[in-house]
Amino acid sequence: MTTENEPDYSAYSFDELFNMSNRIDRELYPEKAKRLDAELELRSRGDYGFNAFIPAEMLTAVSEPEPEPEVPTREVSLEFRGSARDYFRIWIVNLCLTLLTLGIFSAWAKVRKKRYLYSHTALDGTPFQYLARPVPILMGRLIAAAAFLLYYSSSTFFITWLPYVMAAALIAAPWVVTRSAAFNARYSCYRNMTLSFHAGYLDALKALYPWGFIPALVMGTFLEWPGKKVVMVFGWAVFGISFPWWICRVKRFIVENTSFGGRKGDFSATGGQFFGIYFISGLIMLAVMIPLVIFVAVFSSVIVKSPYIPLFSLVFVYAAYVVAFSYVQARTGNLVWDSIGIGPLRFRSTLRCMGLLKLYVGNALGIVATLGLLVPWAVMRTQKYRMDNLRVSAKGDLADFHGGDRNAVAAFGAEAVDIFDLDLSL
Amino acid sequence: MTVTEAVMEGQFFDGLRPVGVPARMEFADREATLTAGSLREHYAMSGLRVSPRIGTTDRFVSLPDGGQFCCADHACLDALTQESPSEGPVAWLEKRWGVALACTAVIFIALLAGYFIVLPAAADRIVARIPMETEESIGNQAVAWMDKEKWLSPTGLEPEVRRRITADFVRLCGNLPMESRYRLEFRTSELFRANAFAMPGGTIIITDDMISIANNPEEVMAVLAHEVGHVELRHAMRSVLQDSVVAAAIAAITSDAASLNAVVAGLPAVVAQTRYSREFERSADEYSFGLLKRRGISPEYFASIMERIACNEGEATAKFSYVSTHPDIWERVRNAREAAAEKNKP
Repeated sequence: MTTENEPDYSAYSFDELFNMSNRIDRELYPEKAKRLDAELELRSRGDYGFNAFIPAEMLTAVSEPEPEPEVPTREVSLEFRGSARDYFRIWIVNLCLTLLTLGIFSAWAKVRKKRYLYSHTALDGTPFQYLARPVPILMGRLIAAAAFLLYYSSSTFFITWLPYVMAAALIAAPWVVTRSAAFNARYSCYRNMTLSFHAGYLDALKALYPWGFIPALVMGTFLEWPGKKVVMVFGWAVFGISFPWWICRVKRFIVENTSFGGRKGDFSATGGQFFGIYFISGLIMLAVMIPLVIFVAVFSSVIVKSPYIPLFSLVFVYAAYVVAFSYVQARTGNLVWDSIGIGPLRFRSTLRCMGLLKLYVGNALGIVATLGLLVPWAVMRTQKYRMDNLRVSAKGDLADFHGGDRNAVAAFGAEAVDIFDLDLSL
Repeated sequence: MTVTEAVMEGQFFDGLRPVGVPARMEFADREATLTAGSLREHYAMSGLRVSPRIGTTDRFVSLPDGGQFCCADHACLDALTQESPSEGPVAWLEKRWGVALACTAVIFIALLAGYFIVLPAAADRIVARIPMETEESIGNQAVAWMDKEKWLSPTGLEPEVRRRITADFVRLCGNLPMESRYRLEFRTSELFRANAFAMPGGTIIITDDMISIANNPEEVMAVLAHEVGHVELRHAMRSVLQDSVVAAAIAAITSDAASLNAVVAGLPAVVAQTRYSREFERSADEYSFGLLKRRGISPEYFASIMERIACNEGEATAKFSYVSTHPDIWERVRNAREAAAEKNKP
C-alpha cells in the first residue's frame, strides 16, 4: 500500500499525524494530505484502536468522546546482540590501560564497556545509548576511593574515629543512592529520550531507613549502646527477618522515582512476596546444613581427626549457598520485573534457578581455569541469558511516552561537567 | 575524506516520543537533508554529531535541533564529524586482535612483576617511613579485644619463671633498632594452644603451652627470636599494605563478573595473600637464625621445638600448602638445621 516515499500513516501516533496535517504543504502534496486527513478522521472516530491523545483544538471537531476502546497488547522485541569476541578485545585493552594508569583510566573503561552493553541491547529494534562522560565518573570514583580509605584506616588504625566515620556514612548513604540512580537514569538513552530519576534526600532517607531503625542498629552495634549483647542480637534478628520488606522498599523507591517520557514507573510487588523467596532460600540452606551437621558429628566420633572434614563441610556449605543464591537471584529478578510497569510497557521475566546456577558455575569455572581471561565471555553470556528471559509487551502505543524538554541532555551536550554530576555507583 | 554525495536510510527520533519514523538523509554540497514522513529539514553538515562506532551496531546522528537520526551506514557515518574525536586511539586498539594479544601479555607481565617485585619493594619503602608508634594502638586494641573475647586468658606461670624469660628476652632484643618497642606478654589460650605471636607495635605474646612444650630456655628464645623478626621487618604493616593492594587489583579484574565472588575473586586473593604471608614467615625465620647466632644460641633449638610442635599437632597442613599462612613446618625445620650447620663452617 505504501511506496518508498509514501509513509505508512497508520504507524504514527495521533499527535504526530495532527502536527503533520498542520505543517504539510497541501498544494505540493495533495495526495499525502488527503491520506493524512483520512487517517486522522479514522482515528478521531475512535475505531482505530489507538489510545489517542486528543488535543484541545481537536475536541471541537470530534462530536462525542467514545468510550475507551480495548487497547491491543503487542510484544516488543528485546534482543542482546553482544559478542564475546568483540567484548574481549574491548575488555582487555581497557583493563590494560587501567592497570598501566594505576586505575585512572577505569572511568573511561567503564564508559566504553557500558556503551558496548547498552548499544548491543536493542528494544523494538533500536539499541540503547549510554551517554555518560568519563570525567564525572572519575570524580565519583576518587570520592569513593577517599571514603573507602577513610573507612579502612579508621577501622584498622584509628579505631576511635570509627563511630564518626560510620555516622557520616549513614548520613551520606541516601544522598549517594539518589545521586547514582539519577546519574544512571540521566545517561541512559532510548530513541533520543533519556530516563530520569527524581527523588529528594528525605525521600531516600525514608525509604532506606524505615523509622530510623537501621542507623540506630548500626550505631548501636559500634558504640555498644545498650551494653547488653542480647538487645543487639535481637535487633539484628529483627532486621534479618524484615530484610525482604526492606529490599522491597528500596526497589520500590528506585522504580517509582524513575521516569521515561513523562511516565513514572510503577511497582506492585509486596514485601511478603520477597519474604517467600528468602524463606525458601533459607530452607535450601537448612536442607543441606542439617544432614551435614549430623554427618560430621557421626563421622568425627568414628574417625578421630581428619583435616578433610572442615574442608569438605566448607565446600558443601558453599555449594548450598550457590544454589540458594541462584534461587534468590532468579526469583527476585522475576518478581521485580513482573512488578514493574512504566507507561504502556509491561515485563515478564522467566529466569530459572537451574538456568542461573548452570550459568554461574560455568562462569566461575571458566574464569578460574583461564586465570580471568574468560571474564568478558561470562559477562556476555550472563547478559544474553537475562535478556533472553525478559519479555516486554506494550499495552497500547509507545507514543504514550511524551518527552517534555528534549534539549535537557542532547547526546553531545553532556560535556559540561557539573560538580554535583557524579557517578557514585562503582 | 568528506561526504559529497550520499544517501543514508534509517530512522528519525524527534526526542518527544520513542517512536521511530522511517527516514533518509541525503548529503549534497556540505548540506544534509533529512526526510522523515512529511518532515523535511536541512542542516549544515558541520552541525551534525555522530555517536562512536561500537562494533557493528546502529549509530546515532545528533541533529542541531535535538532530533536524532539512527542508522548503520558506517562508511558514511565515519566521514561525518564525530561526537568525541578523542575516541580514535582507544577504538583503534580495541579493533585489533594483535593488540588484544599484546595487552594480555602486558597484563600478565605487569601483574606478575607487580606482585613479585614492585609491590614488596614499594611496601618496604613505605613502611620505613611509617613510624612504629602508629601500629601501637592497633596492637593494644587487638590484645584487649582477644582478652575480652576470652581468646586469651591470664597466664598460670609462676612469677619467677616469667621474670627469667623476660630477662632472657630483654637480652635477646638488646641493641636492635626496635629495642624500645618490645613488650613480652604471657597468656594462656585454649584456642591457640602452643603459640607465640607478634602484635603490631612490638608486643609479643607467648602462651603457657608453648613454654611448657620447650625443653630448655634456648628453645623459648628461638621461638621469640622468630617473632622479633616479624617486628623488626615490620611484617604487620607490610601485610596490611600488600594485602589491600592485592585485594583491590583482583576486585578490579573480576568486578565485571561479580556473581560467585567467593570463587572468582576470593580464591585468587587467598592464594596471593597467603603466599606473601609464607614469605614473611620465611624471612622472619631467616632473621631469627641470624639473631640467635649473634646471641650465641644455635638455630638447632628452633628446629627441635618446631619438630616437637609438629609431632604434637599432627602433620596435616602440607596438603593445603597453597592456601596456608605458614610454610610447611618440616621445611622450616630443615632450614633451621641448615643454618645451624653453617655456624660450624669457618
